[in-house]
Amino acid sequence: MYNLVLNENMKIYRRVRTWILIGLMAGFVILGNFVMWHEAKDASADDWQTQVTQEKENWNKQLQKTNLDEGLEKFYKERIAVIDYQLEHDIHPTQGTMWNGILESASLAMLITLLTIIIAGDIIASEFATGTIKLLLIRPASRLKILLSKYIAMLMFSFVLLLTLFIISFLLNGILFGFNHMGLPLIRLIDGQVVEQNMFLYLWKTYLLNGISTVMYITIAFMISSAFRSSAMAIAFSIGTLFAGNILLEVLRGYNWSKYLLFANTDLTQYLDNRPFQDGMTLSFSIGVLVVYFVVLNLISWLMFTRRDVAA
Amino acid sequence: MSNEPIISLRNVTKRIGRKTVIDNLTFDVPQGEIFGFLGPNGAGKTTTIRMIVGLISITDGQILIKGNNIKTDFEEAIRHVGAIVENPEMYKYLSGYRNLVHYARMVPGVTKARIDEVVALVKLEDRIHDKVRKYSLGMRQRLGVAQALLHRPSLLILDEPTNGLDPEGIRELRDYLRYLTRVEGITVIVSSHLLSEMELMCDRVAILQRGKLVDVQPIDYFTHGSDTSQTYQIEVQMPEQAMAVIGQMKGIEELKRSEDGFIEVTAERELVPDILEELIKNHIRVYGVQRVRTSLEDKFLEITGGGQVV
Repeated sequence: MYNLVLNENMKIYRRVRTWILIGLMAGFVILGNFVMWHEAKDASADDWQTQVTQEKENWNKQLQKTNLDEGLEKFYKERIAVIDYQLEHDIHPTQGTMWNGILESASLAMLITLLTIIIAGDIIASEFATGTIKLLLIRPASRLKILLSKYIAMLMFSFVLLLTLFIISFLLNGILFGFNHMGLPLIRLIDGQVVEQNMFLYLWKTYLLNGISTVMYITIAFMISSAFRSSAMAIAFSIGTLFAGNILLEVLRGYNWSKYLLFANTDLTQYLDNRPFQDGMTLSFSIGVLVVYFVVLNLISWLMFTRRDVAA
Repeated sequence: MSNEPIISLRNVTKRIGRKTVIDNLTFDVPQGEIFGFLGPNGAGKTTTIRMIVGLISITDGQILIKGNNIKTDFEEAIRHVGAIVENPEMYKYLSGYRNLVHYARMVPGVTKARIDEVVALVKLEDRIHDKVRKYSLGMRQRLGVAQALLHRPSLLILDEPTNGLDPEGIRELRDYLRYLTRVEGITVIVSSHLLSEMELMCDRVAILQRGKLVDVQPIDYFTHGSDTSQTYQIEVQMPEQAMAVIGQMKGIEELKRSEDGFIEVTAERELVPDILEELIKNHIRVYGVQRVRTSLEDKFLEITGGGQVV
């Protein structure tokens, strides 16, 4: 099994295409962070105490308004509480430090999904397209093991992209803003209480929650790749679902059954911020739905890959 | 050599939908033999080979490789098999060497030394670190043979191995297969739609026609080897005198004029140069000598549907 994964990795990383994708990932992170740095540079003329005090006054003014949206009011109050805490304990806010860029970059995790789909859609189908599947399957390794090794190699690839994202955004922001705030805690309001959280821990939690949706989309691409044996179809369909899924959700939000859709459950950060797609959805509900989809999709991949004749 | 067959097919049948593609194949191949699958395109050669290596499922019957059922003991059975199914398709973006490393990792016990050994065997040392993309068809074919031999298989299966090879390449492959069977005791199954190729390569041939096994015979049966007599057609300037000259020679089994004016001599192969020498000595000009198609070849053409053979 170890050797099979080595083989799959060799087939991934000894291709120019793969490095273009990794380069693309790095390029987006670098570009995004430079833009953010450029904007932050112009804004940060004063020291941070003055800045947050100004921000607090601004929020206070907003709170005076009469026809205030309930969600906005909550948001303003949370911000004010956090600012008070920061001023009181002399804790630098993330703005103007390396952490701002790093946290913002976490939203680029969507790009990881996109780029991994390209490899995942191709990893089975291309073996059929080029005919190499005939030499691959006549070895003393069961088809299940070969399928599994490809799946593991995919997960490893998405992790490589995640590391690219983390390392580049960390180093680049460190260089641009200085590494002096590395130990800065994250101040958040949880259940009405201001708490300090470890920044690294929070960052990786965000990464891993994003990773769950990446895994689901890899699984979809994998299943289509295995069922139709066509790279183009697998890549197009998976990327299509990735984008169309969210649009579809907005349309179907009114229907109760839409909470059973895969896309309604892939984004688990909805529970971190306590704003589920539909009322009554809980973290364990979503995990349950995801597990069912995960099992069914993989079962289809497995059946399609192991049971069908190779006549290509 | 043991008498235990390396591979044995028992009533092997493949149905796709209602269509029976392979119908009740039964045969054994003993160790050290080069066994040929002969038949026109679409006769089921490739399908049979794919069933042997487990790429296609078997509807009925069973295939045993060294006693292991390919269906139920796939990993144990396939361990003894090296194969090229149709064209040797390799990962073009990897070097030849990396391709071999890839396959070596899939079987326990293939060392680096063994890879080098196989590379030397197929004479690819100079180009093995080049990308396969840059290889000629002949080199890819050789790399294909190399990957099939990596794990020292007992059974080598080659599907249309001479497709796209030049005559030199075909000769090399033939010599190579001889070496493998005679020296290393490997059993070889090759498929082809060309009788001329088969007769130079194989010990025994199975003729496949529309998914059915028509006949399994030693190759001599179809081609008449060098030790049996055959009929030759000779075109000469003076047929009457030539007939008289040949008629005096020993070992001539039959002598007659054909309808189109040629002389037809039935004799052992070894006598042909003597006949020519005798004719020339008697100042009879010879324009051509041709082996007349034997009745068995006619039979072969008949059963396999003509045209595409030879």
